Amino acid sequence: MLSHVGRRALYSIPVILVASFLTFAFVRATFDPTAKLRQSGTAGSAIRDERQRLGLNEPLVQQYGSWLGKFLHGDWGTSERTHDPVSSQIASALWNTTQLVFWGVLISALAAVAIGVYSAIRQYSALDYTFTGLTFIGLALPPFWFALIAIEFLAVGPKQWFHLTQPPLFFVNLHSSSGGIIDYFRHLVLPVLTLTVGIVAGWSRFQRAAMLDVMSSAYIRTARAKGVPRRRVVWRHGVRNALVPLVTVMALDIGALFGGLIITEKIFSIPGMGKLFFDSLLAGDATTLTAWLVVTAAFVVAWNLVADLAHGWLDPRVRIA
Amino acid sequence: MNPPRRLRVAVTAVLGGLGVALLAGPALAAPAAPVAAPRAGTRGQIVIGAEQEPDCADWIDACAGASWGLWTMQEQTMPRVFDIVQRGGQWVYAPSVLMAAPPTLTTTNGAQVVTYRLNPKAVWSDGTPITSTDFRYTWDQIAHGANIFDRTGYDRIGSVNDTDPHTAVVTFTRTFAGWRQLFGSGYGIFPSHLLAGKDRDAAMKDGYSWSGGPFKIQAWDKGVDVILVPNPNYWGPKPKSSRVTFKFLTDTAAEFQAFQGGEVQAIYPAPQPDAVRAIKAGLTDANSVVNAATGNIEALWINNAAFPFDSVAVRQAVAYAIDRDAIVRLLFGSLGLTTATNSLNPPILAAYSDQRAFAGYRLDLKHVDALMSADGWRKNGGIWQKNGRAARFSIQSTAGDKRRELTEQVLQAQLRRAGFDVTIQNVDSNTLFGQVLPAGTYQMGLYAEVVTDLDPGLCTTFCSGNIPGPANDNSGANWTRTNLATLDPLLEQVDTSTNDATRISASKAADQILAAQQVTLPLDPLPNLAIWSKQISGVQGDNPVYAMFWNLSRWQAP
Repeated sequence: MLSHVGRRALYSIPVILVASFLTFAFVRATFDPTAKLRQSGTAGSAIRDERQRLGLNEPLVQQYGSWLGKFLHGDWGTSERTHDPVSSQIASALWNTTQLVFWGVLISALAAVAIGVYSAIRQYSALDYTFTGLTFIGLALPPFWFALIAIEFLAVGPKQWFHLTQPPLFFVNLHSSSGGIIDYFRHLVLPVLTLTVGIVAGWSRFQRAAMLDVMSSAYIRTARAKGVPRRRVVWRHGVRNALVPLVTVMALDIGALFGGLIITEKIFSIPGMGKLFFDSLLAGDATTLTAWLVVTAAFVVAWNLVADLAHGWLDPRVRIA
Repeated sequence: MNPPRRLRVAVTAVLGGLGVALLAGPALAAPAAPVAAPRAGTRGQIVIGAEQEPDCADWIDACAGASWGLWTMQEQTMPRVFDIVQRGGQWVYAPSVLMAAPPTLTTTNGAQVVTYRLNPKAVWSDGTPITSTDFRYTWDQIAHGANIFDRTGYDRIGSVNDTDPHTAVVTFTRTFAGWRQLFGSGYGIFPSHLLAGKDRDAAMKDGYSWSGGPFKIQAWDKGVDVILVPNPNYWGPKPKSSRVTFKFLTDTAAEFQAFQGGEVQAIYPAPQPDAVRAIKAGLTDANSVVNAATGNIEALWINNAAFPFDSVAVRQAVAYAIDRDAIVRLLFGSLGLTTATNSLNPPILAAYSDQRAFAGYRLDLKHVDALMSADGWRKNGGIWQKNGRAARFSIQSTAGDKRRELTEQVLQAQLRRAGFDVTIQNVDSNTLFGQVLPAGTYQMGLYAEVVTDLDPGLCTTFCSGNIPGPANDNSGANWTRTNLATLDPLLEQVDTSTNDATRISASKAADQILAAQQVTLPLDPLPNLAIWSKQISGVQGDNPVYAMFWNLSRWQAP
C-alpha cells in the first residue's frame, strides 16, 4: 500500500512540474513585473536595471530554472503589489480559504448524502420531486446572486424588520473580534451557505444516482430475500457502498475549491485564495500570480491523488497494483 | 479490514476534525488579527467601508498611490504643510496646524526660495518635535530614493536648509509654480529621527506606529481592516472618536448591503452603476452628498501619433460623432449630473481653466461628414475609408470596470452610426498604465486622470518633451503623443510662473489649443459620492482631495 502511495505521488511530480512551467511561461508572457515602475514614470535605465536584477532578460527556461530553485527552497519572491513575501501572503489566504472549504465540504457532504439517500429510497415521492426541483434550482443559481439575496434576506432584512442593533448574521470578513465562537459562526453562515448550495445540489444528484444503482443490485435483493430488516439493508449495505463514488467526486471537487472561491470571497470580503488571485490579477502582480497558480495546481493534483487512493482503498474491486 | 470499516474510520476522522475545529474555531479564525475590531454601533467607535485596500503604506514608493491609502491612513497620520479647504465656493490651500505662519515665497539670486516656519507645538506621537530636518529627509528620500511614485517638484529642489529646527528653507534649482503641493497632498512629511539610516520602505509598507496627525495606526490586518486610534500627542484638535475602523469591502453591492445592514456607518463608493442605482433606490437613515466639483477627469485619451488619429480632422470628427451629454446622463443623470465636462482641467481647477473649451463638440453628424470628406475619406459599407484603410480603431480601458464598459458600448454604437468601426479591447489596469499607454500601442483609451492638488499642470501629459522616448529615457507621461509647438510654451509657463494671473492666462489659452486640436476628449468629472449614517455627527461632506475623511477627527459616533 505504502509503495503504491509513493509511486502515485511520484507520478504527480512531473504533472506539477509541467503545470508550473506552463504557468510560469503564461504569466511571464502576460504580465510585466516592471509595469508599475513604467506607470510611475521611472526612467528607462532604472527599469532596465530592475529587469536585469529580476533576470527578465534571460532565456525563459533559465528564468524558470532559477525561479523553481528558489521556489523549492521556500523563496517564493516578493509581491510587486504589496512588497510582502508571497509565501506569507499565500499562507494567510490559504488559511482563510481552508476554513470556508472545511465547513462547506462538511455541511455539503452531510446534506448531500441525506438528500441523495432519501431521494433514492423514496424515489418518485413528493419529497423526491421537491428535492430534485430544488437541486436543479441550486445548480442554476449564480453564486454572486444567491450571496446578495442571502445577505438581504438573512442579515440586512431581519435587522431592519425587527429593529435589531446588529444583523443576525454578519457578512464582512470571517471574524470581528468581539470574538468568541458565536461571532465566528455568525460570520461563517452566509459564505458557507453560498458555497454549499451549488455543491449540495451536485453531490446530492450524484448520491441519489449511486444509491439507486446500489439498491437495484443483486446483493441488496439477496439481503432483502434473506429477511434483513429494511433499515439495515439501506444503511449497512446500500449507503456504505453508494458513498464510494461520492467520496471520489468530493476529493476531486475539494482540490478545485481551493482556487475557485473568487466570487464568494469577494462578496464577503474574505481575504482568501480567490480574493488574493483577483487582487493580484488586477494589479498585474506576476510574482504572486505565478506562485498562486502553482499552489492551486498542486492542490488539484494532490486531491486527484487522494481521490485515486480513496477509491482504491474503499472499493476492494479496485486492485492496487 | 472490510470497506465499511474503512469508511467508518474515514468518517470518524472527519468528525474528529470537526470536533477539534469546533473547539478551536474562534481562536483559529483570526490568527493574524492582533487587535479586536469593533462592530459598527459600538459606543464612540466608527466603522467605515473602504472599497479598496492600499497595497502599501510607504507613501512615496511606487507601490503607493492608491486613493484609499491617502484616505484611510496617510492623511490621518502624516503631517502636511497645507490643507485644502473651501472658501467662497473655491477650493484653496490653507496653512495646516503644522505651520506657525503661512509659508513665504521669495526669489534669492534668481532662485525660488520657500520658507516654512513650523509650529513649535508640533510633535510626532513619541513627543519628538517635527523639525526642518524632517523636511530635508523627506525631500532627500523623494528626490534621490529608488522606486519613487512621483518626484514632480521635489526634483527641482536644490537644497533644504535645516539649520533652524523650526524653519525649513527650501531652495529650488528651477522655478516650480506648484510649490504648495510639496510636503503635503499624498506624501506628507516623514520623521527623520525614526527613519534616517533605515530601510524606509520596510519600516512603513505594512503600516507604522508613529504619527504626526490626529490618529495613529493601531493595526492593519491585511485584507480585513485598518484600525486608527487617537494620537495622544497631537497638538491640533483631538479626535472625538476613540477608534475608527476602515473595513475593506471590495464588492460594491455588498458594500451597500453592509451599510444598510449596519456593518459599516459610512461609505465612499466609486460612481459605478451599482452605486448610482443603490442611491437612486433610496437609503434609509442616511445622509449623502454628490460632489461634481472633483479633481477627476474621465476622458477619451487619443493617441495622436496613431492612425487614424494622426489626422486633426478625424479627431475632430470623432468628437462631433459622440453625444457626450447623453453618456453623462446615462451614467449619472439620476445623481443630477447631466452635462459633459468641457475642459481637460478638472472642476477644482476651474479658476485656472476654460471650462467651456470643448463645449463646441456636440453631436453633429453633418459636421462629421464634412470634416471626413474634406480630409479625403469616403464611406464604403457605412465605414469611412481612405487610401484603402478603414476608419477602424479600438478603445482600451481597465477591464472589469462596469461604468467604463457601459460607456464603451454606447460609444461603439454612436461612432458606428457616424461611420467609425470601433472595437473594445480592455486590459487590466497595470497592463494599460504600465505597458500599453507608455508604449503607445493603443489608439484610444478611456480612463481618468486624478488631480491631488490645486495646481494646474498639463505639461506632464501634453508637452512634446514628455512624449516617452530616448530624450527622457522613456519616462515621459505624454501618452497621447501630443506634439504642438504652440502648446508647449504655454504649458511650461503654467508650470514655472509664480504669477497667478500669468498662469491663469496661459492655462486658458492652452485649453483652447487643446480643444481646437481635439487632442483628447473630456467626458465627465466622475462625481464623488459620500454616504453616512445619521447616527454619526461631524461629517461635513466631500473634499476633492481628502474625500469625506478630511475632518475625520471631528466625526463622532453616539
